[in-house]
Amino acid sequence: MPNQLEITLNPDLADAEGQKIRQKAKNYFGFELTSVRTIHVITIDAHLTQEQLAAIRSEVFTNPVTQISSYSPLPVDFDWTIWVGYRPGVKDNPGSTAVEAIEDQLGIELAPNEAVYTSKRYCIKAENLTYADVDKIAGELLANDIIQQWRVISVQEWDKLIGTGIIIPSVKLDYIPAVTTIPIDSDQTLQKISAERNLALNPNDIPTIRSYFLDPDVSAGRAEVGLSDPTDIELEYISQARSDHCNHNTFRGCFHYSDRTTGEKEVINNLFKTCIEAPTLTLKEKKPWVVSVLWDNAGAGRFDSDHYYVITGETHNSPSNMEAYGGAITGIVGVYRDPLGTGIGSKLIMGSYGYCVGHRDYQGELKPHLHPRRLLDGVIEGVKDGGNKSGIPTTFGQVLFHDGYMGKCLVFVTALGIMPAKVKGMPAEQKKTSPGELIIMCGGRVGKDGIHGVTASSETFSANTPAGHVQIGDPYTQKKMHDFLLEARDEGLISFITDNGGGGLSSSVGESAEYAGGCQVQLEKVPLKYEGLNQWEIWISESQERMTVAVKPEHLDRFMALSYKHAVESTVIGSYTDSGKLHITYNDKTCAYINLNLMSSGFPQWQFDAEWISPETRGLTEPVIGEPRDYTALLLDILGRPNICSREWITRQYDHEVQGTSVIKPLVGAERDMNSDASVIRPVLTSEKGLAFAQSLLPAYSAIDAYHMTSCTIDEAVRRLVSVGADPDQIGGVDNFCWPDIQFHPKKNPDGKFKAAQLVRSCKALKETCLSYGIPLLSGKDSMYVDGHLTGPYGETRKVSGLPTMQFSATSIVPDVQHCVTMDAKIPGDLIYIVGVTKNELGASEYYEHLGYTGSHVPHILPEQFFPVYKTLNQAIAQNIVASAHGIYRGGLGVHLAMIAMGGNLGMEIDLFQVPSDGVNRNDTLLFSESGGRFIVTIDPSHQETFEKMFLDFPCAMIGKVTDTGNLVIHGMDARQILSASVQDLKAAWKRPFGDLI
Amino acid sequence: MKANVNVLVLTGYGLNCDHETAHTFELAGGVPSRVHINSIIDESISLDAFQILVFGGGFSWGDDHGAGVVQAVRMKTNIGEKIIDFINKGNLVIGICNGFQTLVNLGLLPGFDHDYATRSVALTYNDCGNFRNQWVNMRVNPKSPCIFTKGIHTIELPVRHGEGKFFADEKTLLRLQENNQIVLQYATRDNQPANKAFPDNPNGSVLDIAGICDPTGRVFGLMPHPEAYHHPTNHPDWTRLKEISRRNQKPWPPETTMGLALFQNAVNFFS
Repeated sequence: MPNQLEITLNPDLADAEGQKIRQKAKNYFGFELTSVRTIHVITIDAHLTQEQLAAIRSEVFTNPVTQISSYSPLPVDFDWTIWVGYRPGVKDNPGSTAVEAIEDQLGIELAPNEAVYTSKRYCIKAENLTYADVDKIAGELLANDIIQQWRVISVQEWDKLIGTGIIIPSVKLDYIPAVTTIPIDSDQTLQKISAERNLALNPNDIPTIRSYFLDPDVSAGRAEVGLSDPTDIELEYISQARSDHCNHNTFRGCFHYSDRTTGEKEVINNLFKTCIEAPTLTLKEKKPWVVSVLWDNAGAGRFDSDHYYVITGETHNSPSNMEAYGGAITGIVGVYRDPLGTGIGSKLIMGSYGYCVGHRDYQGELKPHLHPRRLLDGVIEGVKDGGNKSGIPTTFGQVLFHDGYMGKCLVFVTALGIMPAKVKGMPAEQKKTSPGELIIMCGGRVGKDGIHGVTASSETFSANTPAGHVQIGDPYTQKKMHDFLLEARDEGLISFITDNGGGGLSSSVGESAEYAGGCQVQLEKVPLKYEGLNQWEIWISESQERMTVAVKPEHLDRFMALSYKHAVESTVIGSYTDSGKLHITYNDKTCAYINLNLMSSGFPQWQFDAEWISPETRGLTEPVIGEPRDYTALLLDILGRPNICSREWITRQYDHEVQGTSVIKPLVGAERDMNSDASVIRPVLTSEKGLAFAQSLLPAYSAIDAYHMTSCTIDEAVRRLVSVGADPDQIGGVDNFCWPDIQFHPKKNPDGKFKAAQLVRSCKALKETCLSYGIPLLSGKDSMYVDGHLTGPYGETRKVSGLPTMQFSATSIVPDVQHCVTMDAKIPGDLIYIVGVTKNELGASEYYEHLGYTGSHVPHILPEQFFPVYKTLNQAIAQNIVASAHGIYRGGLGVHLAMIAMGGNLGMEIDLFQVPSDGVNRNDTLLFSESGGRFIVTIDPSHQETFEKMFLDFPCAMIGKVTDTGNLVIHGMDARQILSASVQDLKAAWKRPFGDLI
Repeated sequence: MKANVNVLVLTGYGLNCDHETAHTFELAGGVPSRVHINSIIDESISLDAFQILVFGGGFSWGDDHGAGVVQAVRMKTNIGEKIIDFINKGNLVIGICNGFQTLVNLGLLPGFDHDYATRSVALTYNDCGNFRNQWVNMRVNPKSPCIFTKGIHTIELPVRHGEGKFFADEKTLLRLQENNQIVLQYATRDNQPANKAFPDNPNGSVLDIAGICDPTGRVFGLMPHPEAYHHPTNHPDWTRLKEISRRNQKPWPPETTMGLALFQNAVNFFS
């Protein structure tokens, strides 16, 4: 007999969660709710006595000081009540910890068919709401129908004794799992079955797959183990391994590039090899600090002689677009498994985020699956829970609003870890599997999560079908696993480790078996969340929080003892062999038997047509704008633009100081509210060395040329690092491409060739800029298909594509953290310098965007000229003669002078006539051009001579002074005062859009 | 030779500040060990060898049923008696953030009349409705018996929590005041009482309470994180403070930090 416990705050205590819902209902829908109280519901589907129930109620689930509770519905007053619970099979993390608490409190163990589920009931007092209104609050504010179910009950319908009734969202699959074979008598048959089963086999791959299975030698070998036609599990394995996600077919494709204007043609065979791998290998030769790149889950650079840092970046766009919270938490928790699976395991030391979404106040006519505001709220919360509960500081992040991302949002997540250079005398960055070693799956159990991704969302739901494709990351389970695996690593128990992400066991076991030369997996040993999974589902499920580990048989007992101590489930599921085969059995019957070398043999390369149309040919020109007269109002308005303004509310939700390593925080300045250029941590607590990290995103420039978008993005990331005092000679980069579909289709993607050409140009810029700045690409990922089809007002759908976007992450070493500087002006009387040349480069700038233009003069990066300046600035900072340093980024000089003044809470007197420029004769160009290579630096006047001497050979000029007036005053090229604003007014404008959010 | 002051820092089940807490105790002159909760329960490690027990920060059991609740259940049902013995022997216990939440759910705080089992105060959801990471200023109660804060008048530390609002009924609050068990109270940047005003009081705690101790002063719980201020560069204004010190020919960096000072008091208690 199940029991349902309702818990709520004492009536005299404020309900912060309810208050938030009230506010959102008003902001989102204009509903005035009188009050909202939340009730936590725990449904206990277990055989417990009355005494046991009473004990867990009072000792575990009810705080005597703040809460009341009851096993019958609580009499909380309402006009409407909404119950929200998970759908069957959705990960209910609090339900799992409730089981642990009950077992501890009662000293019992629940039976396998017993469980605890959590849900919530919201009690709403409001006049004049209809059922439809309340249903809207339920469906669009409180629940997401992909993972949750809800009921709306009015006070008239409410039965005081029964309440919501008891809903048990257990998964019941009345189904005997079976392996099926798939006929391959023709390409057409296989193609048809691939479509029916969502195998997503590429049509070009099908002949290769068929010829493999029809090969007489292969057939003979298969006959010996009792197989003939391919099984579903085999084809699923091939499909996973050949997917764009796992195999990067786009970046490894062949691009037939042509320029419509010049008629030039070029074939680029494999963007990855030519533009990422080749320059990185070249740089690795020159830079001994580059430890391990291009093969493992994350790249590694040397932190000091005893430690290597590792870094990787990911995106989780499609899942976040469907279920913002679940997608984002799964994304951040997922990327944290990459460093853990790098070398023989790295400790996580920091994370960062990047969100590209539609405008938060979008009121247009298109209907995205989730409104950008709700989507952003969910994504922020997902990364908050995922990062904070992992105990990993989130020290950097960016948000970019553009309605092109309403088709599909971008959620970038980046992870850094650290490993000892050696473990038990062996290099920790190396690993391999060997025949005889055991395959161990650690962490969570396997369910239908993530199978075939979003294609499953079109299937009909019944009351007990699992919401299979959606995952909710569980940082608690993963944190336990993280601590366990690092202890096992330090004892020398791990030969090989990798994570289970995309493709699940299929990828992790398949790829790790290549080192040993084969594997034998007993699939029935894999622990399941619930019975009834097909063999192929067990094999490719993307259930989270799992690592695959190779352990020598002699280490097994110790490994399992540690696993038990840390309350982590670990299971031997097979062993590595040298058979050359991926051999899977289920209860001793073979269900897959494939040559491991199949994946590296003879699959056709993807082909793309790429046609570049230059900005001139596309008709882009500079706009005709007369010089503004009111610069003060203009600057205030630009400071309040969504992509410039303060987003402190997001930064403060993220723990950026856990681990005690914080040196430069994401928010700095006298009032601790300005965005830092970069973050710095001290990952080895006994060392004074720091690790600096920064990211940049400038997709607006893609509207003119994705080449310059890319080079400007890299230049910005480099300057961000230099600004805090990081070494420009030890910068490692991570490229994360998010691009719309580039495969031309006359109807579905008529501009596919142009988008492909943008990608080619972007990759060329990546290669050239990284080679010039000496940045090896330690890691990188690509996520294509940033497109969506949104419904318009007439029931039509419109394709919305995101801007071609590349996020660049950069990291470098700070030799002594005591030399770091921040961006804020420090002391009145300090001299203000600008370093670098300002050019007429307003194309796609924030200024032009503000006035509704694109223009054509996009900034150009000149690494050969810029880099010596960066090195000099680095030396000046290292010699302690710089009081503050800040790069000039999006928005230009005007915006960033304002940032420095706001940072110091101090005035500044600026003379634009002094600004080194090239071809500029207007104040608005000087103030808002986004030319690269520039910094604003303030110094103690006593260092004037030393500083000026250092920059003698470079474009650098004193442009003013820090003052104690509290006003930013700017004089134009003709010495006339053109702008004056108090720091308070600047800050009020900068905080206006989101300043009220917490 | 001076005897070691052994410090046990709990780990496991989602706790996460153990490395920096151990490091800070080491800087303070203690001998820290990071010990998994289960290693005490299965008796492979005994509390007898330690003088200071640290319930550190983190998200034990994901904080799913109220922060620190499930951790308190596990500790109480398995080693509740041992912890009370540990305290009664004159040792020190500190609970930081999630650890403070655990101490109040265990009933170790406020510990009126040596009753270390009754839950009479709570740490509940922040009034601002969200997790928040910021630095706070606090005033130290000079009359408090708390061992950790001896000689300290004001202190700056970061808070990083979603459930840090201290709550108790009037009677309990009065008793805490009378006993001088209120150790830390949130203050403004110039060290005036915050008077519940956000963000100086980041969570809406009654009486601006940030930390309390038991009547002996040997059991101490606080929401802010002393271990996150063990190095001068942890302070949010340090680049500014450095510049000001240099211009005034004052030394930089300072020799100690406020977070470290709390732990030094604890270690020095035994010497």
